[in-house]
Amino acid sequence: MSTVTTAIVDYGLGNVASVRNALTYLGTEVTLSSDFAVLDQADCLILPGVGSFEDGMKKLQGLDLIPILNELVINKGKPILGICLGMQLMAKRGFENGEFEGLGWIDAEVQKLSVSGVKIPHVGWNETNISRQSKLWPEVPTQCFYYVHSYHMVCNDLSDIAALCHHGKNFTAAIERNNIMGVQFHPEKSQKDGLSVLKAFLTEARGAEILC
Amino acid sequence: MVHYCSKCVYPNSSAVPLGFNENMVCTGCQVSEQRIDIDWNARLERIKKIADEYRVADGSNYDCIIPVSGGKDSWFQTYFVKEVLNLNPLLVTYNGNNYMDVGLRNLRKMREVFGCDHIFFSPNIDLLKKLNRLCFKKMGDMNWHAHCGIFTYPVVAAVQHKVPLIFWGEHGYLDLGGMFSLDDLVEMTAKFRLEHAQRGFDWFDMIDEGENIRAGDLIWARYPTDDQLEEVDIRGIYLGNYVEWDANKQTKEMIEKYGFEVAPEPFERTYRTMSNLDDMHENGIHDYLKFIKFGYGRCSDHCTKDIRLGLMSREQAIEKVRAMDHIKPRDLLRWLAYVEMSEDEFDEIADSFRDPRVWTKTSDGLWEKDNIWGGRSAYPVPKLTSNSSAVPHSLIGV
Amino acid sequence: MLKKRLIPCLFLKNGFLVRSERFTNHQYLGNALHQVERFNAWAVDELIYIDITSDDSYDVGRDDLKIKSEDGALGILEVVAKGCFMPLTFGGRINTVQDISDRVKRGADKVTINSQALRTPDFITESARIFGSQCIIVSIDVATNANGEYEVMSSGGKMPTGKKPVDWAKDAEKLGAGEIFLNSVDRDGTGKGYDLALIKEVADALSIPVIACGGVGQFEDFGLALRDGHADAAAAGNIFHFTELSAKKARKTLIKMGLNVRN
Repeated sequence: MSTVTTAIVDYGLGNVASVRNALTYLGTEVTLSSDFAVLDQADCLILPGVGSFEDGMKKLQGLDLIPILNELVINKGKPILGICLGMQLMAKRGFENGEFEGLGWIDAEVQKLSVSGVKIPHVGWNETNISRQSKLWPEVPTQCFYYVHSYHMVCNDLSDIAALCHHGKNFTAAIERNNIMGVQFHPEKSQKDGLSVLKAFLTEARGAEILC
Repeated sequence: MVHYCSKCVYPNSSAVPLGFNENMVCTGCQVSEQRIDIDWNARLERIKKIADEYRVADGSNYDCIIPVSGGKDSWFQTYFVKEVLNLNPLLVTYNGNNYMDVGLRNLRKMREVFGCDHIFFSPNIDLLKKLNRLCFKKMGDMNWHAHCGIFTYPVVAAVQHKVPLIFWGEHGYLDLGGMFSLDDLVEMTAKFRLEHAQRGFDWFDMIDEGENIRAGDLIWARYPTDDQLEEVDIRGIYLGNYVEWDANKQTKEMIEKYGFEVAPEPFERTYRTMSNLDDMHENGIHDYLKFIKFGYGRCSDHCTKDIRLGLMSREQAIEKVRAMDHIKPRDLLRWLAYVEMSEDEFDEIADSFRDPRVWTKTSDGLWEKDNIWGGRSAYPVPKLTSNSSAVPHSLIGV
Repeated sequence: MLKKRLIPCLFLKNGFLVRSERFTNHQYLGNALHQVERFNAWAVDELIYIDITSDDSYDVGRDDLKIKSEDGALGILEVVAKGCFMPLTFGGRINTVQDISDRVKRGADKVTINSQALRTPDFITESARIFGSQCIIVSIDVATNANGEYEVMSSGGKMPTGKKPVDWAKDAEKLGAGEIFLNSVDRDGTGKGYDLALIKEVADALSIPVIACGGVGQFEDFGLALRDGHADAAAAGNIFHFTELSAKKARKTLIKMGLNVRN
């Protein structure tokens, strides 16, 4: 059985080292790239991200990654997992310090998580309620993942939502639409539960069980 | 440049991690000074209360495990647990196959003198020889198997017998180097075993290393998993946190009350005759390797303990260290025959572990280091096998 | 519901893991990497490493161990990060944006900044702008001065700054800090319990999370900081090294006290 190959989209944002460490630990071959050929070669893609929506989109634009990602994800159907800001960029629009256009793959908007009575940013471990079956959790129920964010994805199509979390109010913790998946939390920082989500994503990408 | 504690004789190159304050007093001495301020009566009450919690009322199981080597400390621990704490212990011994006659006699006497059950676990000797050779080559310590066995097997036995409480003696690194404060009431941990007792190596590091050792040879060396520890609720308490430890006083008491025997002949590398009778290499070549690596030996350890107990001055200690730390001991001959190695090969491998922070080579090809009494000396390595009579131990440049 | 966090804090000095007391006494526990293995196994919530080395020497003093000396703090960080699948904070000796970048590149999720933030508060804003607020924890060391008042100390707890902790914490929050790491110089290593009054005063005044540290003597102390001190996270250095499965036992104590922590 050959190893799954994963490409982390390199657009200059995100805690790439941590994501890479977790994927390597799980036994996948990891590359970091913004090159079409390299991304195309990989079995699946990870879109990481830490920072602002505006910054994220600007960097993707600057590296001409938007048409590349559209081709790979929308036309070719390559499995992609967005993490934190990476998931948020998949929305239609983001409202952090202005209004900015996102990748538009998910009918959603990114807004500030502003609820009175709770501290922002939302930092720490929080219970995540799985709303429906997803390729990300074939068997697992409620889990605890690590979150660190101030903005959240508001989905207009509720069928895109795969999990919810609560911080003052319910917000989207994970999305799934065909080959497009995203998690607001950091699976590479969520120990056993997080690693099992990554493992499920990799398994899905290869279509076979991975030994890890 | 090696520098030394201003109170005891430990060097900064010590095997035990040491810190020094602005007066160059090492952390070992600093922690030792805490002893005066501790309310030892309160500690006694505390350990008695703990004992009460673990006593098995209907006598259907042992109250505790005591890892014993047969040495002076294990005698004292057993006496204390039985007579002062009123508990019913199971004694557990790892047999490293290095017992001195007097050490074995002391060990065998324990179950008679104290009236306890005793497990004396002996691994296969062929395997022990392999571990002796392998670990000497791997880390410059032929006694690794013993460090492993002593810290692993009693805990394995505790889990097997479902006895949660284990009474260890002193916390070695707290005592020697002040790793912890006496107020921390530190307990035994898997981390300590792996990192300090075993230097980071574990049983699986010994497989496929050229000695044909298989997993099945090292069943005794597998520490219980966290789940197993949690299930039995294993707790390893150091009696040294609850009793004002004084090896000299305690040994005297064991000799007078129970007939503990000290070594009939003096050791070559230390002046104490009551220590390390359970393993002929502990004061011998195992310790000689400490000198080869770090430039000090067992005599320094014992002097440091006695300085801190107020029984010796630093000047007296330095004289002893000068006479004994560097001695190449004759138990080497037993070991070379045991593992089938030549003295030349032994010396070559030993030399590969000389710490460059301590040792430099002179233009004559001799190993040289700083001395605690000032200046530097070269320490030529004598050969024991080429000369069966008295071996020269002269120092050059003293 | 967002859980309260339990965070071991590992102090590194010259390559060693140390036991700290009142910021001055440091006893050497060994190699930081061995302890990380145990924490990973016990599923603690996060790990904080603070490098309190004052010079540049990193040397565990012997070469015959399985784990060798790493090449400085960054070397240690790189090795730790490889196997650390929980949030990792690396602080100490951070004075420039490049320092932060060096650590984030090697796997640190967050950094703590202390003395440099006091010297040039704009450093907080600049760092938060580049790396995001969530990455920047401002570490505040507090001692009680001769007038019996709380005062912020800099340079390893040695230099009084004349600032009140609540005021400085509020400034740091305004300047862009993501969290505050609040440490008591007086309580450090004493086992006498947290300074709950100090923690509550700061936590109540801020809308960013506060991590309490300094003084833990028993596991119940964690609960008191979270419940009575209103801290969002309870951290400690020494106590986690004293007993087997310490973090698991601490967590059990917190659950018994009815606190909302991970199972």
